[in-house]
Amino acid sequence: MAELYSLHWRRAYRAAYLVVHDAAAAEDVAQDAFLAAVDALDRFDRRRPFAPWLHRIVVNRALDWARRESLRRRAAQTESVFEPLPPPEEIGGEMIAALKELPAEQRAVVVLRHLLEYTPGEIASMLDLPRGTVNSRLRRGLDRLRETAEPEAVGEERR
Amino acid sequence: MSRHDPLDKALRELAIQVPDDAEARGLRVVEAAYAEREGRERGGPEKRWPLPRFALALGLSALLAVLVLSPAGAAVRGWVDEVITPSTPKPEPTLGEIPGGGRLLVQSATGPWVVQPDGSRRLLGDYEEATWSPRGLYVAVAEGRTLSAVEPDGTPHWSLTAGARVSDPRWAPSGTRIAYRSGKAVRVVAGDGTEDRVVAGSSAPIAPAWSPLGDPTLAYVSGAGELRLVDSESLVGLAAAPALDDLAEIEWGANGKSILEASRQALRLREVQPRKLPPRPSVEASHSLPLPTGATVVDAALAPERETVAAVVTNWRDHGTRSSVVLYGPGEAKPRRLLTVPGSLGEVAWSPDGRRLLVAWPAVNEWLFLPIGRGRESAVANISRAFAPGHRNASFPRVDGWCCRR
Repeated sequence: MAELYSLHWRRAYRAAYLVVHDAAAAEDVAQDAFLAAVDALDRFDRRRPFAPWLHRIVVNRALDWARRESLRRRAAQTESVFEPLPPPEEIGGEMIAALKELPAEQRAVVVLRHLLEYTPGEIASMLDLPRGTVNSRLRRGLDRLRETAEPEAVGEERR
Repeated sequence: MSRHDPLDKALRELAIQVPDDAEARGLRVVEAAYAEREGRERGGPEKRWPLPRFALALGLSALLAVLVLSPAGAAVRGWVDEVITPSTPKPEPTLGEIPGGGRLLVQSATGPWVVQPDGSRRLLGDYEEATWSPRGLYVAVAEGRTLSAVEPDGTPHWSLTAGARVSDPRWAPSGTRIAYRSGKAVRVVAGDGTEDRVVAGSSAPIAPAWSPLGDPTLAYVSGAGELRLVDSESLVGLAAAPALDDLAEIEWGANGKSILEASRQALRLREVQPRKLPPRPSVEASHSLPLPTGATVVDAALAPERETVAAVVTNWRDHGTRSSVVLYGPGEAKPRRLLTVPGSLGEVAWSPDGRRLLVAWPAVNEWLFLPIGRGRESAVANISRAFAPGHRNASFPRVDGWCCRR
């Protein structure tokens, strides 16, 4: 288990972080995903690779967290009593800021496609969505990110 | 979007630094959960927690040997093929040198033990409770109606017999007095066993706390649930204020300006004006330390030389009980989480220099040594057996003190 954990934890954390944009929550999500995996060992089809199964749990839990957080903010409830861990030093680039501005559902699809490199079909299966929905979320998300990544180019195109 | 698209490249190469220790924290939780699961499958409470640690110690080969025996194991066996690097420090099998130094006072079912910095230990005798003197030259011990002072090697110095069962001895920072409870009364005796006197006739079952400033002011919780300050020499009541409901513990902060109140449901710092001259000390405003929703407090302790509170809190999560060690820094509105583990943690104790925490983890029969700031986490296994040699089913011992500030 320790070796499996070492092999997969960082990618799980990165994926969770890019969906929730909160270091402490990402840590919780990654940890909970592994706990869920441990809990469900009996139900796992051993002929399949572990990573997609884990990433499915990670991204779905991260989405759950992001939705809850969104509701919580809307309800103007008090913040978590735990001080969020300080943002890691390398976080803060324009791309991450732009990702944060996307709706959580688009973020999740972009992360699964471009960070974890799953196909739209696999993502549809992971998130229990129609493939067309995956494609449209991906397209909308990427369009908005592209505006961040290539603002000048976009501006020139519009002129 | 192709693999050569700049946006795809930017997304794939996003640099995300993982917070220090996050991976190790999670590993400990996952290992413990896996350990619990394996224990359940094997059905024996004896093997429930220690086995996976043992399996880890044996390495991957032993893990595989276990895994092939069950369908779940077969699933893991497939994943292990993906393994690249071995990992994880494991707990030391026996208590060696105490991280950060100092001496421990540990209460086991057989009595209190003194653990020297090199890990060697000695049973003091058949006593129910023990507390260090301020410089660790003596230990006050209680058994039945008897309060005694013994040297750390067990040599007795003096004893007194009280009218009722003795509990909660606490040696004053000056070294010249010991407060204790006898039945419901709070009493104070000089450090040489003389001048035993009643300070309060009725108290809640909570250990009293001495002022850290060397004066004879003692804080205790009255039978009516008030936090009271009393001059233990003149017996003059100095101040009083309502204590937390269901209070479990009080502790006076090192600068004398606050008293920590801890109950299962709340943590509160009560401000105190530490005046030695009239007007005398007073109990002032208090502020609550925030807890996670639904969390209960297992234990809390103030750092030796500052107003930082370490607490163990426990909560129910999707996968069962989880416990965390959190720190409340002076002036900080929110706590910082040091560690979260599945199951229950026990008491927390500060090292004499305030740079480490010892946290009991009875579920896996370990002590955790957590650095505050820089440093390496460490753990020691087989704690129960260390303090109950020859007993297979020994209960987990309790840390009663980590000595001593110089």
